[in-house]
Amino acid sequence: MVRRIAAKEILSTLRDTRAIVSNLLIPLLLLPVIMLGLPFLLGGLFQREATTVTPLGIQGLEHAPAELVALIEGQNAVLESVDDPEAAVRDDTYPAAIVIPAGLAEALAAGESAALTVYRKMGNLRSELNAGKLESAVAAYRQEVVAERLAAVGVDPSVLEPLRVETRDASTEAERSSGQLAWLIPFFIAIWTLTGGQMAAIDATAGEKERGTLEVLLVAPVRRAEVVVGKFLATTLFGLWAAVMAIVGFVVGGLLLRGAFLPGLGAGAAEMVSVMGGQLSVTPTMVVLLVVSAVLLASLISALLISVTLFARSFKEAQSYVAPLSFLLILPAISLQFRDLIGAGDALYWVPMLNAMVLMDDVVKGAATAQGIAITWLSLSVAVVALLAFAYRSFQREDVLFRT
Amino acid sequence: MIHVTALTKRFDDVAAVDDVSFQVAAGEVFGLLGPNGAGKTTTLRILATLLKADSGDAVVAGFDVAREPESVRRTIGVVNGGMGLYDRLTGREILHYFGRMYDLSKPAIERRIAELDDLLTLGDALSKRAGTFSTGMKQKIVIARAVLHDPRVIFFDEVTSGLDVMARRAVLDVVKAYPSTERAVVYSTHVMSEVEELCDRAAVLYRGKLVADGTVEELIRDGGEDSLERSFFALVERSGLVDADGAAVAA
Repeated sequence: MVRRIAAKEILSTLRDTRAIVSNLLIPLLLLPVIMLGLPFLLGGLFQREATTVTPLGIQGLEHAPAELVALIEGQNAVLESVDDPEAAVRDDTYPAAIVIPAGLAEALAAGESAALTVYRKMGNLRSELNAGKLESAVAAYRQEVVAERLAAVGVDPSVLEPLRVETRDASTEAERSSGQLAWLIPFFIAIWTLTGGQMAAIDATAGEKERGTLEVLLVAPVRRAEVVVGKFLATTLFGLWAAVMAIVGFVVGGLLLRGAFLPGLGAGAAEMVSVMGGQLSVTPTMVVLLVVSAVLLASLISALLISVTLFARSFKEAQSYVAPLSFLLILPAISLQFRDLIGAGDALYWVPMLNAMVLMDDVVKGAATAQGIAITWLSLSVAVVALLAFAYRSFQREDVLFRT
Repeated sequence: MIHVTALTKRFDDVAAVDDVSFQVAAGEVFGLLGPNGAGKTTTLRILATLLKADSGDAVVAGFDVAREPESVRRTIGVVNGGMGLYDRLTGREILHYFGRMYDLSKPAIERRIAELDDLLTLGDALSKRAGTFSTGMKQKIVIARAVLHDPRVIFFDEVTSGLDVMARRAVLDVVKAYPSTERAVVYSTHVMSEVEELCDRAAVLYRGKLVADGTVEELIRDGGEDSLERSFFALVERSGLVDADGAAVAA
């Protein structure tokens, strides 16, 4: 009977075109778009801004040393005189501007220091990028001046750098290749499980109430436990489907980035690809661990959905109940980024929902331990059973089934 | 076929069904007559095992509704006015879904569908999805679903609400034809003419209490009026559950 109830729920949801498109196809397309689109878009924008010759404002061009002008123009910029550099940047005539004070060359020649002013719009990315061109040119010129002054008094410039710091990356290959945004993987799986499962869950609970079919179902000779499990299985299947689509989208996105597009991308875009996990290597063991964890996470979310949506009287009311559930997923995903600072050790593996995300993050980074896996899977299984027991009790409650 | 004794069901402080007793014999169409809030639906839900009574007993087709709910469910069919159907399933798929719940084989369901098609003229409703049904088609599939397993007792709860004259007539004909020596019908309604046309006996319910029961002729006589409608009001007034202005007296 469980199979028949689940089959009916699956058939009914499969015939809901909007649910299929919005919850099951979009995750397949969305992740590649994010993985491909962001590197292309951001990398392309950075690269364009870096290589395009951009007019920048300058006040006091006549006072600017030729070397400094050459360094600025070497940054793909062309200097144009302005009377009021602050106003010129404020009204977007120029993305950035610099002020060269009168007597700069003489002051430098005399071994004195002088102040240059760079105007930028804080928070405006294009302005910041171009102000960066001015600042790096000024920094390079400053080094030249310092080197000349030290040479004039017979001092090796290296005396200014008595200590050097060399930073080496001690992370594993998996940690490096998973990218700085690897936490997005478990987050996407969780959020798409919720999104994919909610249509089936709402349709199977509040939807049945609203249509008046729940009453008919419950007067048929079927046990309420069978009803709960049948609806739970259908919800889990659709949650998993969405999650699998998300994983497939992620893998396809990663492969496309690495194989087809990475060689053709510029340096900026390639860096973005790396950040987005585009170099991710997934081994068969990782796939198994991810799939089992995703199944348990989907089961937990489905059991939660069934438990919550059954209390609603209508489809609309159920949707309002489901919306806050996304916070249950967002909060662990956010805390995942601060996991090192939280430092709770194995305790995190006991917290349902959070533990699935922590474990999936571990798997992607190649850092999963047998203990972490065992605790997580046990904790999730217990939580699923507890929620199903709660849903079963709710299916016995007259005030829940016949709320008006 | 149905024995109801001192049945009581309260929702918080309100007695939805208050010490109600009646019996229905095989071959009868028994009416539950009363306005909204009289306790008709609550009574039927208790008999259909959807709600548990606070006190009292009810036996349907030989099975106690409290102690043998699954056996009761196998012997009953329910048709309510909500006409709930799965919008994305066809009429045939809906009938197969419920038929399998009663352990009917696929060929048996198909045979039964053919019989019901002859009786109810299901036609396109079998192949179309329920979301596209007219009200009449919906009601036919709802009835077909309820009688698919040939239940010994069938409950009709306000089934003609919102139906056009043709669909209403089809429903009333089914109700009339259903009882036999081994089957009974409980028909809940607030429409006096339907009780007069269909019911062998009826109980008048008001604010959860059974005010009177008997054949239609007996109810008219007990009310001391010349029609069921006038007698209904007389019986309710005499029960002391309404004050002089016609307002309900708190239970």
